[in-house]
Amino acid sequence: MSTPAQVWQYRTLIGNLAQRDLKSRYKRSVLGWLWSLINPAVTLAVFTVVFGVFLRAEPPVAGNGTTSSFALYLFSALVAWNFFSGTINTLIANFASAGGLLTRTYFPPECPMVSGLLTTALQAGLETLILMGFMVLVGNVSWTFIIGLPVLFLLALFAYGVGLVVGLGNIRFRDVGYLVGIGLQVMFYATPIVYPLSIVPEGWQTLIRLNPLTHYADGMRNAFYLHSMPTAVNWSVMVGSAIVSLLGGWWIFSRNAPKVIEEL
Amino acid sequence: MSAIIVDDVSKKFRLQTDRAHSVKELVTRRDRSAGADQFWALRDVSLDVPEGSMYALIGHNGCGKSTLLRCIAGIYRPTTGSVATHGRISTLLELGAGFHPDLTGRENVYMNATILGMGKKQIDRVFDDIVDFAGVGEFIDSPVKIYSSGMYVRLGFSVAVHVDPEILIIDEVIAVGDEQFMRRCFDYLYDLRRKGVTVVVVTHGMDTVESMCDRAAWLDHGELQMEGPAAEVAGAYLDKVNAAEREERAEARAEALANAEAGGVKVDFDWTREEGFGEEIEILGVNIVGSDGEPLTTAEPGERLAIEVDFMAHRRVEEPVFGYGIHTEAGVHLSGSNTRLDGLETGTVEGAGRITFEIEELPLLPGRYEFTVAVNDQWVQHVFDRHVRRYVLTVNRGAEAIGAGLVELSGKWSIEAK
Repeated sequence: MSTPAQVWQYRTLIGNLAQRDLKSRYKRSVLGWLWSLINPAVTLAVFTVVFGVFLRAEPPVAGNGTTSSFALYLFSALVAWNFFSGTINTLIANFASAGGLLTRTYFPPECPMVSGLLTTALQAGLETLILMGFMVLVGNVSWTFIIGLPVLFLLALFAYGVGLVVGLGNIRFRDVGYLVGIGLQVMFYATPIVYPLSIVPEGWQTLIRLNPLTHYADGMRNAFYLHSMPTAVNWSVMVGSAIVSLLGGWWIFSRNAPKVIEEL
Repeated sequence: MSAIIVDDVSKKFRLQTDRAHSVKELVTRRDRSAGADQFWALRDVSLDVPEGSMYALIGHNGCGKSTLLRCIAGIYRPTTGSVATHGRISTLLELGAGFHPDLTGRENVYMNATILGMGKKQIDRVFDDIVDFAGVGEFIDSPVKIYSSGMYVRLGFSVAVHVDPEILIIDEVIAVGDEQFMRRCFDYLYDLRRKGVTVVVVTHGMDTVESMCDRAAWLDHGELQMEGPAAEVAGAYLDKVNAAEREERAEARAEALANAEAGGVKVDFDWTREEGFGEEIEILGVNIVGSDGEPLTTAEPGERLAIEVDFMAHRRVEEPVFGYGIHTEAGVHLSGSNTRLDGLETGTVEGAGRITFEIEELPLLPGRYEFTVAVNDQWVQHVFDRHVRRYVLTVNRGAEAIGAGLVELSGKWSIEAK
């Protein structure tokens, strides 16, 4: 079982793996780095048009009391979602591609996972900066932006733990890959991202609130759009889910990864 | 002080068929615990690798050597038993493991070295040495996908030995490089060992085992057959391999004889005759025979053997000269002589006859050798018949340790103070 100290010893490897992923990702593409921005931009545009224009979703008034932009309301929560789903997908891919290497040379199998988290965290940071840029443009600025930091940090732990388990499961059972595809789709709509929680019928709201991601999305919205503190419930679900996911994921992963690697 | 202690290690694998690939299979499968599809790659293996020694793992393919290496390297966990290692391990289990084809040699060196646990500054310090040793020159900034397999393995080896390991674990990868590189590898390994690095190698080259290793372990079907001083273990292993081969040879020969007799043919190989030869004297058959008089195709250095040439003189010929030649596979003419040079008077021949060339102690070292047999007129001007490089003799390593090269000179050493 790899301890955090062992993983720390391999920090150079983790950095190099992340660097390699980033370098090779956009090799031989003309737009290169821009792709990492084009993707979320298009998603944002599509959702804004479909939900904001076609379905006339009414965004709440922003923290500065005047701005009311569905695009920014959506974007705030979308950053959290992109970070979560990106981490899950990257961890699945990273473990699959590191598998061959792990049968030939020893290093803690956590390394490609941590490096995967680093790359998605970088992406999330970039998206957050752009979000803040837009907020500055529309004059919706507040000290509450700083809350985004702990929210994203807790989200990183939560996503990492989940990613460890599905990344491992994906190698062991082919079903997991398919399940994750469906699961992410369901999760996206089970999280108030393209809609505010308030439009959800009473009985369903409870269900949506059981989804930890709802609270991360809330946290991001509070920090960047509404400029208010996330509720105590938000905080406790975020902290609780992050700890449970990280510890559980780490435990399952470090116990089972060597077995799974041997069977590759 | 032991660098590696392998304590009663067993490793069980489940065969692929036994594995559930989907959750459904996992749930529906009945006989999950049935032992039929299990396979023990290692069984109760215990070893002790002394610090600073060079240790060889030998055995036929599939005997568990690589599994054991992986257990030592920490890649596999033993099913039962334990492996304890003392020191930083560097592994070279596969040619260029971890090289990303799209990245340059430089980027891959950094990548590979960090996989082996090095920090960036440490790599900076030895980077030039790594590139020099690998001899990839200006290619270091090209993507490794354009590298030849030799360059690939050289770079991989170079990284593995330069990461300042305390224990170095090497699978048979070095065999890929060219002769010159292999020699440099072994020189380097020798240097490392002198510096106190423990080296564990898997190899099929018994020369390597005898000349370089201190101790060896011989695995057979996952079980430890023998462990001890390298030369002893290698000798015992070779004995067994040679015995198995002799058995096979005897069987093949019996079969050939049976077939030939069934067809009513005299046992001989069907060599087509060269144009214009064999009119006066014809070489009918050539056999390389062992001390027991039985034909053989393999021998060991120092063995007593003879070349028997059956001929037919279709007319009376005075003082024919019989000769032999030995070439290596690569075409080096190793040796050759004839009855005239060696002073044998053959007299007058007519009809069938046999000439024999006896070798008391075969001076050839392991390799494949091709024998030529010829018969000429008394002035060695006219060739009556010749079979050029037709008869192959494979010389295998015997149990005794011997020198390197092609021939054994059987000289004697002496030393005195002056």
